[in-house]
Amino acid sequence: MPKSDLRDEMKAAAEPLLPVERKLIVWSLALGVALLVVLVLINRVLPLG
Amino acid sequence: MLTTVSEATLSITAAGPPRLSEDWLAVAIGLGVFALALLSLGGVDALGWVATTSVWIDPGAALAPASKAYASLSGPGALLLTYLALLAVLSAGAAALGEDVKRFAIAFTAVFAIAYACWFVGSAARLAAVTPADQAKYGLAWSLKLTSEGGFIIALLAGLAIANFFPNFAERLRSAIRPELYIKIAIVILGAFIAVTAAGKLNLASSLLLRGLAAIVEAYLIYWPIVYLIARKGFGFSREWSAPLASGISICGVAAAIATGGAIRARPQVPVLVSSLVVIFAVIEVLILPVLAQAFLAREPLVAAAWIGLAVKTDGAAVAAGGITQSLIQAKAAAEGINYQPGWMLSVTAAVKVFIDVFIGVWAFLLAHIWANRVNPRPGQKAKAIEIWARFPKFILGFIATFAIALALALATPAGASGKLAAAIGEANVLRVIFFTLTFFSIGVMSNFRKLWADGLGKLAAVYLVSLIGFVVWVGLLISWLFFAGVKPPLAS
Repeated sequence: MPKSDLRDEMKAAAEPLLPVERKLIVWSLALGVALLVVLVLINRVLPLG
Repeated sequence: MLTTVSEATLSITAAGPPRLSEDWLAVAIGLGVFALALLSLGGVDALGWVATTSVWIDPGAALAPASKAYASLSGPGALLLTYLALLAVLSAGAAALGEDVKRFAIAFTAVFAIAYACWFVGSAARLAAVTPADQAKYGLAWSLKLTSEGGFIIALLAGLAIANFFPNFAERLRSAIRPELYIKIAIVILGAFIAVTAAGKLNLASSLLLRGLAAIVEAYLIYWPIVYLIARKGFGFSREWSAPLASGISICGVAAAIATGGAIRARPQVPVLVSSLVVIFAVIEVLILPVLAQAFLAREPLVAAAWIGLAVKTDGAAVAAGGITQSLIQAKAAAEGINYQPGWMLSVTAAVKVFIDVFIGVWAFLLAHIWANRVNPRPGQKAKAIEIWARFPKFILGFIATFAIALALALATPAGASGKLAAAIGEANVLRVIFFTLTFFSIGVMSNFRKLWADGLGKLAAVYLVSLIGFVVWVGLLISWLFFAGVKPPLAS
């Protein structure tokens, strides 16, 4: 990829977020936070060592 | 097939099509080393000739074969034999990867010579002696207390100097600059070392593995969506750039960026350029984070180790940074009279990385499915389940195999005979250290800062910097603290 092409790409107009992208972001974060809470609780019940 | 930057660049110089992937090659070499090490349980010392360097004040007495059974070889003889053995095995590997063997052999000779020289310098007592007792033993009033693993940093700096000040020489070394191959071989060997270390304290070890699940959640479900959102909304990147960038920053650097690029059918240049960026930032992290860990987390060694595994991207840099962190924190603790059993911090960092790696294939499949069906739907283009296997980092199978076999042997060995297994794995570990050194040097040689900047990657670097400093480092620290605070490695007896 020539340097000028890459620089032009960086300046190109932003693509709007599609609904599926929003869904991917929101669901990943929600699931991630929920699973972390569960794991922290397990960690309290089964301490290391 | 999972590829890396080095594979991408090698495609320019390859002599023929590869007959083996880099991952499978790493598994073959790592298992070969492991098998040779185990022969000593049957009375055949097959790796005792490998050269090792002890902390030295007299350079002439620093080198020696790993086993006294090979004392007649002398240090330089053992080093020559080690070089020839690695040259033969890796040249055969280069042939299997479809590379020009002659070009590889010449480049590897220079790479090995420089990297081992760095390791040797790093073992000088002035740099490596840690405790007051060590300093007294070598007649020193002061030392940098880096342990001999300071040699990794010297190798990295030497590589960086070559990449940035002698680019023509760096280009000549290129065919033997394979950090991903070297670290994957080292990780396969590391599996056995971790198992022998863990066998003595099985409850703690199994608990540590359980905590690896938190690392998976953090990398894929917390980091990834936030970085993707920052890249898309904050910096206006297209989907084609944002997805590999998010994977590169969040998951496992090079492998994840390239797997994601393939999954969303990005142009090949996109993940390769993102991977270059990941490697550069990994170098910076390797230089800075272990020092910060020693300064602020010395009393929480396992928090530091897990944090390094979560914050530093690319397998090579993360495990390498874990090794340095372990050395620095152990040195600081030893100076205060606390002697932790070696291996535990490195094991935590490696376990965190390995857990994260395992899911690259699943994540790439998920993204491929979403992109093929919802983002860029094209008739007849559907993600296939076999892609999960195709993108699975196979070297992890080697790690699991050496870990499982060594653990089973350790648990089956009577307490009185356990030293024999530890000694056998210790000899393999000497080679693991050499592969680590080759990795550090290679990462340095791949990191031409000026070229990267000239390619116009400043805006991509900005996303990386914002994500890394903005939350990757802090969320990683928080999660590591939640799971590892108050847990210490066992003390050395």
